[in-house]
Amino acid sequence: MDLLEYQAKEWFREMGIPVLPSQRIDRPSDIKRLKIPYPVVLKSQVRVGGRGRAGGVRFVTNTIDAIAAAQTIFHLSILGELPEVLLAEAKYDADQEFYLAIVLDAAAHRPLLLGSPQGGIDVESAPELLQQVVVDQEFSPFYARRLTIKMGLHGPLIQSVSGIIEKMYQLFVQKDLDLVEINPLGVSSTGELMALDGKVSVNDRAIARHSDVAAMAEKMVQREKGRKYSLELGTWDEVDPASNIAVLGNGAGLVMATMDLLTDAGSKPAICLNIGHGRSWNATTPSFSDRLQQGLEFLSEQKNIQVVLVNILGTVPTPAELAQVIVNFVQRRERMTTNRSRTQSYSPRVIVRFAGAEIDAAKEQLATVQVSVAESLDEAVSQVARFAKSSGRRK
Amino acid sequence: MKLTPESKVVIQGNCEPLMATHAARMKAYGTNVIAAISPGQSGQKLDDIPVFDLVEQVVAAFGAIDTTIILVPPYQALDAALEAIAAGIRQIAIIPAGVPPMDMVHLLRKAEATETLIVGPNSPGIIVPGKILLGTHASEFYTPGSVGIVSRSSTLTYEIALELTKAGLGQSIGVCIGSDAITGSSFLQWLQILDEDENTQAIVLVGEPGGNSEEAAARYIAETIDKPVIAYIAGRNAPPGKHWGHTGTLAAVVGRGVNIGTTQSKLTAFQEAKVPVADRPSQIPSLVKKALK
Repeated sequence: MDLLEYQAKEWFREMGIPVLPSQRIDRPSDIKRLKIPYPVVLKSQVRVGGRGRAGGVRFVTNTIDAIAAAQTIFHLSILGELPEVLLAEAKYDADQEFYLAIVLDAAAHRPLLLGSPQGGIDVESAPELLQQVVVDQEFSPFYARRLTIKMGLHGPLIQSVSGIIEKMYQLFVQKDLDLVEINPLGVSSTGELMALDGKVSVNDRAIARHSDVAAMAEKMVQREKGRKYSLELGTWDEVDPASNIAVLGNGAGLVMATMDLLTDAGSKPAICLNIGHGRSWNATTPSFSDRLQQGLEFLSEQKNIQVVLVNILGTVPTPAELAQVIVNFVQRRERMTTNRSRTQSYSPRVIVRFAGAEIDAAKEQLATVQVSVAESLDEAVSQVARFAKSSGRRK
Repeated sequence: MKLTPESKVVIQGNCEPLMATHAARMKAYGTNVIAAISPGQSGQKLDDIPVFDLVEQVVAAFGAIDTTIILVPPYQALDAALEAIAAGIRQIAIIPAGVPPMDMVHLLRKAEATETLIVGPNSPGIIVPGKILLGTHASEFYTPGSVGIVSRSSTLTYEIALELTKAGLGQSIGVCIGSDAITGSSFLQWLQILDEDENTQAIVLVGEPGGNSEEAAARYIAETIDKPVIAYIAGRNAPPGKHWGHTGTLAAVVGRGVNIGTTQSKLTAFQEAKVPVADRPSQIPSLVKKALK
């Protein structure tokens, strides 16, 4: 989960990383209550990069200009994202700008300190200046000093910049971050340091053990109005909105393999839903059978979906238990279709791919309703492709 | 590596329904499950398996233990693994998904210092078909044979084992190294283990988008692996930037190239290493047969 700049800077302030006096602006009229003296920088609070170039950062010298600029920025969409809030910040004159970051290096299985003596937007144009230090054992400040030396820093900057890196590292560990970045770190003519912009990514898998982050995440999910499907039940991805096919599977690898085969057969899916594995650790999350049932309900509520390919391999419930969930789903949908007019509701065609032990009982159960059973992934894919094409022609 | 039916195995867990299901499955498969560790429940029996409070109590009672299967909630996995290492266990399978990456960094420092092999997290563990089940693999898809599977996805491991089984090709081992961003053992370690394993004649490597472990594996195969390797990478058509349920793609970092971790970059790496790549799981058996000729 990515934090907005003003949220990242709140954490920086708590850690003792220097940030400028700033104020959150929720609406243009908030500018009238500005406590920071002009000139002021107004910054669009979006998660995507490149907002400076897109016009999302403006310098203003008086209230009238500031209100006008705030109105413009609130309506400026940056790579499809509109800001909910702006950040008003004091202007800072930097002599030099550095780049600092800490990430997890999956290949080395270690945190990585990154630094460049050329920060700001220049960092991308000079990748050869970007230095790396792997934190091989428990962190100690010498790792930070090693980075500053590689960056070519001299004199008092060695201690002051490594002090910032040390605080970034503490934040990284305390909050289970994937990334903490300061870009740029401004250096004044007197050698004073200032985090002028910051980026923080919290690891999604660790959110639940930080109550403050969990509260932020909950607000964010509520804001994403389009997402009806609870993340607790699984992850879903829209692939091709023009298609009428959905894939439901257990495990990201299997779902991706199914999507590849469908795409090769000319039947790219509209939605892929991964309901996860049978091994659940939390008594409050729904069981695998519940996730299957709710996943099917979710997909059948999507108006464009006419066929659902269910591909489930090796999980804790038996095939017979899973077949029962599917039979119940199909019967419930059929009842809904007869009770309402056909234009209001319909049942998507369900094609189930089952394999493994005890599948005969499951097949017998599924034979009682209108569900196709395929015994291999290839066969399931060709059934889906056939059905999608014939139903496409009927339209 | 100790992967024989005689290997002594314990299960650490406190999720009773899950632990009971998998303990019974492992035991039924012939795994020598010595004990289960469930704090506060010592003296009980779990499907005839005695329950202890601490790993060290099991070691005191039965002697050195070869492998532990960790079946605890993700935030407790680090502690359980450290307890196992402290008790002298040097093979660990971590089953849950969602172990925080910094916990894994901490654990891997300890594992490297003690030469402990860690499989997972977010993994069904290891299976040696017909011999031993260390974890939660769906054993019905496997048959004993000579093809080793090393994979990042549990369900895809089953899919490929099933295709091989249908084609009359048994498996010497099935291991899923795990789908999380930071996993214990790597493709490289397992390629080396399978290259040395006398029961393995060919290796199937299964990858997916995210990270750069497939690219590293491709280079390693070209340089050091003598046995034939077939690769399969899922997600050729996955829209970039989507999560697909895994956290294999860490934050993009300046200076690392935009193509890192894509399926395309992995396919290119295998082509450059002259490793045959299957388009679909069902194509794998014929590529294996061709390579073994």
